[in-house]
Amino acid sequence: MTDATMTAAPSRSLWQDAWIRLKKNRAALASLVVLVVLGLAGAIGPMISPHPYGAIYQQYVRVPPSLEAYPRADEIEPAVTDLIRRARVDATETEVSGDTVTVQIASDQPIDERVVRYFQRSDQFFNPELELAGDGLSGTLTMGVERNYFFLGTDNLGRDMLSRILIGVRISLAIGLLASAMALVLGVTYGAISGYLGGRVDNVMMRIVDILYSLPFIFFVILLLVFFGRSLLIIFIAIGATEWLDMARIVRGQTLSLKRREFVQAAEALGATRAGILKRHIIPNALGPVIVFVTLLVPKAILAESLLSFLGLGVQDPMTSLGLLISEGAQNMRGASWQLIGPAAVLTVILFALNFLGDGLRDSLDPKER
Amino acid sequence: MSDNTILSVRDLRVTFQTNDGPVEAVKGVNLDLKSGETLAIVGESGSGKSQTTMALMGLLAANGKATGSVKYRDREVLNLSERELNKIRGKKITMIFQEPMTSLDPLYRIGDQLAEPLRYHAGMSRRQARPRILELLRLVGIPDPERRIDSYPHEMSGGQRQRVMIAMALANDPDILIADEPTTALDVTIQAQILELLADLQKRLGMAIVFITHDLGIVRRFADHVAVMRRGEVVEDGTAEAVFTAPKHPYTRMLLDAEPEGQKLPPAPDAPELLRGDKVHVTFPLGGGFLKKPTYLQAVKGISVNLREGQTIGVVGESGSGKSTLGRALLRLTESEGRVAWLGTELPHGIDEMRPFRHQLQLVFQDPFGSLSPRMTVGQIITEGLLIHEPSMSRAERNTRAGEALEEVGLDASMRNRYPHEFSGGQRQRIAIARTMILRPRVIVLDEPTSALDRSVQKQIVTLLRDLQLKYKLSYFFISHDLSVVRALADHIIVMKSGEIVEEGPTEQVFDAPREDYTRRLMEAALSTERFRPAS
Amino acid sequence: MLGYTLRRMASAVPTIFIIVTLTFFAIRIAPGGPFDLERPLDPLILANLQRAYNLDAPLWQQYLMYLGNLIQGDLGPSFTRRDFSVNELFAQGLPVSILLGGLALLAATIFGIILGAIAALKQNSWLDNLIVAIATLGITTPNFVIAPLLSLFFGVILGVLPAGGWSNANPAYWILPVITLALPQVAVIARLVRGATVEALRANHVRTARAYGLPARVVVGVHALRAAMLPTVSYLGPTAAALLTGSVVVETVFGLPGVGRYFVQGALGRDYTLVMGTVVVIAVFVVIFNLLVDLAYAWLDPRVRYD
Repeated sequence: MTDATMTAAPSRSLWQDAWIRLKKNRAALASLVVLVVLGLAGAIGPMISPHPYGAIYQQYVRVPPSLEAYPRADEIEPAVTDLIRRARVDATETEVSGDTVTVQIASDQPIDERVVRYFQRSDQFFNPELELAGDGLSGTLTMGVERNYFFLGTDNLGRDMLSRILIGVRISLAIGLLASAMALVLGVTYGAISGYLGGRVDNVMMRIVDILYSLPFIFFVILLLVFFGRSLLIIFIAIGATEWLDMARIVRGQTLSLKRREFVQAAEALGATRAGILKRHIIPNALGPVIVFVTLLVPKAILAESLLSFLGLGVQDPMTSLGLLISEGAQNMRGASWQLIGPAAVLTVILFALNFLGDGLRDSLDPKER
Repeated sequence: MSDNTILSVRDLRVTFQTNDGPVEAVKGVNLDLKSGETLAIVGESGSGKSQTTMALMGLLAANGKATGSVKYRDREVLNLSERELNKIRGKKITMIFQEPMTSLDPLYRIGDQLAEPLRYHAGMSRRQARPRILELLRLVGIPDPERRIDSYPHEMSGGQRQRVMIAMALANDPDILIADEPTTALDVTIQAQILELLADLQKRLGMAIVFITHDLGIVRRFADHVAVMRRGEVVEDGTAEAVFTAPKHPYTRMLLDAEPEGQKLPPAPDAPELLRGDKVHVTFPLGGGFLKKPTYLQAVKGISVNLREGQTIGVVGESGSGKSTLGRALLRLTESEGRVAWLGTELPHGIDEMRPFRHQLQLVFQDPFGSLSPRMTVGQIITEGLLIHEPSMSRAERNTRAGEALEEVGLDASMRNRYPHEFSGGQRQRIAIARTMILRPRVIVLDEPTSALDRSVQKQIVTLLRDLQLKYKLSYFFISHDLSVVRALADHIIVMKSGEIVEEGPTEQVFDAPREDYTRRLMEAALSTERFRPAS
Repeated sequence: MLGYTLRRMASAVPTIFIIVTLTFFAIRIAPGGPFDLERPLDPLILANLQRAYNLDAPLWQQYLMYLGNLIQGDLGPSFTRRDFSVNELFAQGLPVSILLGGLALLAATIFGIILGAIAALKQNSWLDNLIVAIATLGITTPNFVIAPLLSLFFGVILGVLPAGGWSNANPAYWILPVITLALPQVAVIARLVRGATVEALRANHVRTARAYGLPARVVVGVHALRAAMLPTVSYLGPTAAALLTGSVVVETVFGLPGVGRYFVQGALGRDYTLVMGTVVVIAVFVVIFNLLVDLAYAWLDPRVRYD
């Protein structure tokens, strides 16, 4: 039993230990993967999607989700007929072969070359070419069929839901992260100062937090929006400015309890400066709970943004967010339930994954296990 | 197995499933308990002594599993169904625990809690149970039981709560009472009273007692049999007589020998005066707040001390006597009134003003787990003081000094890259001592530095402190409630009570001829639990 | 106890006063006014309206006037619903909100406690995992997702319940809103109770109860669950205040005549008195329920004493 014996296990810091524990937690790891995938989808997805999120396909209003391309084979001829009629010419023969359509057209009057414009404007066809016969009374119109995929359907204006959800994910995640970052900086600074100085300063600072706390979040946001006008920036500032209160309380509590810990007192006995104690002892030890809280803060911020958008106070058309999409979906759920289910599912998955990740982090950083 | 053996444990094994695989806490223990006798199970933390009894009471944590055999009056009780077990526990076999503060339900009156074993085992109604409860409370020496029966646990002191627990254990006239470290959490004078009560009750009621303790000394007076446990195994058992007079196993000998020995000679009469406190007074605000006037606690009431070079002043007293606060006030780590002088000049109050003095005035804490920052390596922890007091020192030089400091306290220099959680309690306390020694201090306030450690480790730390003192002419201000350690280390004793000095003087005089009643009570209590030394 | 209650009531007055003052000046300083319609009003009519509502007086006078009326319990006339006073609006809407919120609160408490206790007692079983998973889903899914999905499923697809609308007499209209309000709270309470019960089961005094051979129902029911109720009680205070004062989301999705919408509508329409009224009502509810929580806590835990 000599005191100097030591097992030869490799030395691991608490952070390394936590990472090893986190890697064992499959739910948290899966959530991390899901979040990374969704984050990439939100960041890159809108760029590679063939449909810009604001593009309107008048021919494809409220089409349901499908893995098949639009127009469907049996819709091509009616669509051609419809356009021919609008062009005020007659079709003598229509032939669809693969992705090209050939129409023989005829008319009593000379055919104006501009009839191709009807087809140019259509979302369903591209590259129309007209070869007129010598008399100008008949001709051959060839064009390609524009294949459009709407995997998650379209909305009431004929916009691709998938693209809109992708941009919604981008906006929601971005606001969630930015607002959390703001809450983090504000809350950590405020809470650490309040907790470390303690006494009367702490009392006053926490009283202010209490009063801000009792003001309803929505009221605060509405005021900001009214004063500064609506913009993404204001929304994220408003959310960050409300979420920091919780962070400040947590950091203050941590600081207060750390301040009483013996290793902080030991540092004081060594003559460490206030800054040194904050830097070497308080912050590294408060970091664990703060990280855990941030993972819970991000879904709260996303939720807040979604709620604002749902109430019509947030992002505005044509820009969109998951909350706004859900709000529109709720209005159109009769007959177009995909407009509700798609964004609702994505939002739920994001929130669920963030929660699992937070739980996993809390378990792996939990100091109780030591 | 003789006729009057009422409990017999054979090849008991307890295994816990943990994240790091199964851990065997008890490895094939055999024990016998005769009716009416006292069996002491002695061992240090982690020896499996508590888990042995938890297993037989069916109280193991959910991830624990027990195998083997435990027979109560020839009936197998290990791994009985909860329902079957409930016919025995609380009735035939009862138990009291180490934590008197939390072992009673804080939400119910003690009368209601005492009634429960009577209601569910003896079938009494609440009203029928009342006279029996009053009788029990009287039996365990609770004053004014008529009133106390309606108290809540938080309205009682730790000692009283432990008495209530004992009353509860006796409610159904048990055959066996298991006492799991019943006095460890109590002040020394209370400890003695509880031990006396148990011994007295056994004499009167005749139940068998299983006494679990880490302290071999305190069972000497009333144990008939002793089993010494280490790392899940019984390394020695026998009659108390045999174990105490002729211990066979080296571990038992070490436990018996763990008593710190020797005496500290007073410093030379011309030793210079280092730290002097005059009428030091410390007041803490208590509670108060928005609409209430704050109240104040006078923790230290005008105490004067004088610490000379090479001297060790031992400060003793029960918890709440203000001894730690006094130590902190002398280091200017807490606001105080009065004068504190270092080498004749008054110490300043501000954090920045005090900094130049700090490397000479150091502090070691009681809890070696709490006093090391868990996120820093041992090297970083030890050299933090150098960072503050010798900022020009190069990293390489600090590294060398860290290695030297570790070796000085008996640790390997290569351990400086490890983290505190990888070390045992004794090793951590060595690290904490290395952190102060690296600054070459002249005065160290030692705040219960051995209280959280096992006996065998305590002795090593005491030896280390003594060696360091001789080598560097250190002065110690040694705060402890453990009189045997104080006696071995200090040459001058201060006895504190409620923030005041009750008595002070040279160690010999205070120990052998205490003048004050309080000191005498403290000494008697300590003596009645006094550790037994082998005849050799 | 009575003294404590009165003192607590008294100490709430400054808090409410600060909130009222902050809200009053914040909303009044905000640009825009209650009579900014799409087509600007005739200046003469506008001036008359402003005089009628005392909006032409200096702000501090209006503030004092408002405080004076408030003390008498008069929340003033609504600016946007000009036929009603704010008191009348609350008299109409508050019963609806209290009915729905109260039912939701009751359901959430009962189911939350039952589910949480079951999960804790069967810790780490499949049942526990299932309850925890559902609770996590319930906590993470926002009510503006739950509400339309419920309405879609039960109202549109199955057609068994009204998808929206309100009837004082027909409880069928209450069901979906109550479920929407209750679900997240069931989840939170179940998790709270589970955690607290697990902890309580590990407590030393529960170990004592087991060591004394008390039947499992006593160990759990008497010694573990009462301790486990404490955090739940603390949680219920602010939750009850929030539930009983209506939810803008639920009222919007189901088209209910509660008071939850007043706030957003009032703030957007600069209905000064309506906004102020909502703030006052919410603050009063918060104060009352925090007080009730403290009293309940003292009743459950003898260590807490107010005097």
